[in-house]
Amino acid sequence: MKKKWLIIIGGLATVGIVTALLVYFFVYNKPHKDYSKAKPDFEVEAIAFFEEFRTNAAASSTRYNGKVIAITGLLSSVEITDEQVVAVFEIDEGMFGSEGIRCVLIPEKAEALISIPPGSSITIKGHCTGYNETDVILEHCSIVI
Amino acid sequence: MKILSTLILIFTLAIGTAQAQKFITKTGHVRFFSSTPMEDIEAHNRQVNSALDQQTGDFVFRLLMKSFQFEKALMQEHFNENYVESDKFPNATFTGKVTNIKDIDFAKNGVYNVMVEGDLTIKGVTKKVSEKGTFEVKDGKVIGKSTFNVLVEDYGIKIPGAVAKNIAKSIQIDVDVNLEKLAK
Repeated sequence: MKKKWLIIIGGLATVGIVTALLVYFFVYNKPHKDYSKAKPDFEVEAIAFFEEFRTNAAASSTRYNGKVIAITGLLSSVEITDEQVVAVFEIDEGMFGSEGIRCVLIPEKAEALISIPPGSSITIKGHCTGYNETDVILEHCSIVI
Repeated sequence: MKILSTLILIFTLAIGTAQAQKFITKTGHVRFFSSTPMEDIEAHNRQVNSALDQQTGDFVFRLLMKSFQFEKALMQEHFNENYVESDKFPNATFTGKVTNIKDIDFAKNGVYNVMVEGDLTIKGVTKKVSEKGTFEVKDGKVIGKSTFNVLVEDYGIKIPGAVAKNIAKSIQIDVDVNLEKLAK
């Protein structure tokens, strides 16, 4: 009789511990999304995409903010600092200098960008964080081959 | 006489325009930090736009809330979905002035104390703020730094009772911007 109870309690305890571990790893400690593997929610052309935000920021934000976007366009320049590598599509001039789309690269994916000459057509995908009245910003970006 | 006054006008305008030097960055860094006995939470935003007008002292910041990066994905999700509702309020802004702009010699390397006043808008709520900071003038660039606190409830950010012990009521904000001359 006693043995049966021990088995039941032992079984429940194991289920409890396993559940706690699963919650810890998959919920509380869940990993950040790997945007380099994510399928794009939208595939857009750089100039048209920027103009959508410039013309109607509210509607474009609702449509694109927080989504994975794949942008195709002519790469204007690459900004490299100690902290990050940014691919820039310069589309117009404004109060802050150039205006357009800025794509912050996932550090491991930045090297692929450095060998691409400015003026080349590239497709880059990432997480759209929004429009700050000057540029549309994408983060966690990687080049799409 | 007319030619002379026209020349004077053009000359004055030319000087006026030349002196309206703007310093800008698109990669300013804002970090916020919450510390409680339960846990420390911090997030970094490295896509901050900032502009300083050398003549008027006008000083503006603009950042996207979704650009704040947290170590824990779940925390980032809660921050965006529940606390700041970044879908509804994508941007946070500061529009103000360096009140003692005349104290700064932009041609002379050095660290200057600055007083900044203006409107801070987070989650659609605007409050007047007045904070201290420093400008380091270094070879024609301006490194602006400031650390100050904001009370989350001042901006309509409600912390649920369940996590009240994990998130501080007063959040520390660190600003670090490398401003460079905007090429004409």
